[in-house]
Amino acid sequence: MTAIADTARPGALVPAGRRVWNVVRLHVANPWPALILPWIVLVSIHALTWSIWAIISHYAGPGIEEDAFRYAGGVSWLVIYMMIIAIQAMNAGFRFALGFSSTRRDYYLGTVTFFAIMAVVFGIGLGLLALLERATDGWGLDGSFYAPAYLYDAPFAVVAFHYFALYLLFTTMGAMIGALFVRWRANGLYLYFGALALAVVALVWWLLDAGWGPTADFFTTNPLAVVMAWTLPVSVSFAAVGWVVLRRAPARG
Amino acid sequence: MTAIIEATGLSRRFGAVRAVDDVTFAVEEGSICGLLGRNGAGKTTLMNLVTGQDFASAGTVRVFGEDPVENARALTRLCFIKESQSYPDAYRGRHVLAMAPHFFPHFDAALAERLVADFGVPVDRMVKKMSRGQRSAIGAIVGIASRAELTLLDEPYAGLDAVARHIFYDRLLEDYAAHPRTIVLSTHLIDEAADLLDHVLVIHEGRLEIDADTEELRGTASTLVGRASDVEAFVAGREVLAREHIGGISSATVAGLGADDKARAASSGLEVTPVSLQQLIVRRTGGATRTEEAAS
Repeated sequence: MTAIADTARPGALVPAGRRVWNVVRLHVANPWPALILPWIVLVSIHALTWSIWAIISHYAGPGIEEDAFRYAGGVSWLVIYMMIIAIQAMNAGFRFALGFSSTRRDYYLGTVTFFAIMAVVFGIGLGLLALLERATDGWGLDGSFYAPAYLYDAPFAVVAFHYFALYLLFTTMGAMIGALFVRWRANGLYLYFGALALAVVALVWWLLDAGWGPTADFFTTNPLAVVMAWTLPVSVSFAAVGWVVLRRAPARG
Repeated sequence: MTAIIEATGLSRRFGAVRAVDDVTFAVEEGSICGLLGRNGAGKTTLMNLVTGQDFASAGTVRVFGEDPVENARALTRLCFIKESQSYPDAYRGRHVLAMAPHFFPHFDAALAERLVADFGVPVDRMVKKMSRGQRSAIGAIVGIASRAELTLLDEPYAGLDAVARHIFYDRLLEDYAAHPRTIVLSTHLIDEAADLLDHVLVIHEGRLEIDADTEELRGTASTLVGRASDVEAFVAGREVLAREHIGGISSATVAGLGADDKARAASSGLEVTPVSLQQLIVRRTGGATRTEEAAS
């Protein structure tokens, strides 16, 4: 690709590394939607969940099962929210960045870098909250909000890696959806949901036919970290498809 | 003089629509070039092609001698402000201005601040809640203060009132005089911008109709004003582009008057004035539509 060779040659008024970093900054010029709001909403959901726990344990009394509060799903909205942030970042961010004389390549590299940094921040952040959760005896109620279900016994590194990988999976998917939208507008979304529906049908077909045994084996015999590690090549594929779609996208409309 | 933009046989088709159709032109370094034409004539598409935001169907375009598509060397030296520029949802005006210096290396933040005061832009307001004029003003501020070697402004004052438009012209010219650059300005407010322009490109239905220096273009026609009978006597047998009557007074716009023609007109009691650019272009592009409709 000649495009990549170009960056190595001198002459651009802004060097390549700074151009990419500028795009990262562009996404957090207003840090509110990506950096601040998710934590506020997360803490609010946590507070709400905690009050429900408190009410239940008050009325249930001492006879309550010990894993009663171990399956909260309050954290899961975060990845969906971040996917939406990713789609928005692609949609408005792309045209804005091109309007500010970015190349598509610099824009995409910067945006994916931004998602990766965010994945690290949220992975470590949620891991630390899980540690706090354990240190406070499940917020005083033996509850698991930040490390529920299968994360209950997992060490810090696994909890953090789990969220990092999950976050990356959803933001790269968001980047791909956003790229499809930027390139082909609504038709791109039809394409995505059509392909998704086909993939789900094919998966169910395969599971019913022959795949159930090996799939169940995969999830039960592999430790969580290995299962999550397998999402990384999927995330990379999403990001790659996103780039293939975006590199010929016009900045119209 | 060197060419900053060179387009050769440049075309962009959307299905059957030829938005830009086999266009060849050059824009000289240091000039202020007007890209004029009616709505939907292809001005924005042409500027998208020049700045690598869209891909040509045929032909080539060179900016600073290079293909602008995905070319940071060319793109970091230019600034393209378009009327339809979109901003991230969460942006306030000040976020746009805070990002601009990172992307435009010659950006002058102090100048931008002065322009914010001149235009009265509420920079703490969410961009998506701004009026069209306020969004245009933000674009105009970035366009002027970025001092890019090549600045392209696409309908930069859509929604701005007459006062704000004059501030825009004044500040643009002021800064251009102090920091010369190449400017391409698309507009359909032709007469307002006419005094700014060194060169005029008129695009009509995707095709380049006129590519001429402003002065030269103005010289191609003159308007004669005088008593109706005198005017009629003078223009008999000439190509008349436009005619107006008010009471006994007539004015006629006539193509191709030489110096001696003008002298003769003056001696027969007619006032000879250069034609307005707008009238001329309306004639050329409006007229073309009619002949094409008649032909089809």
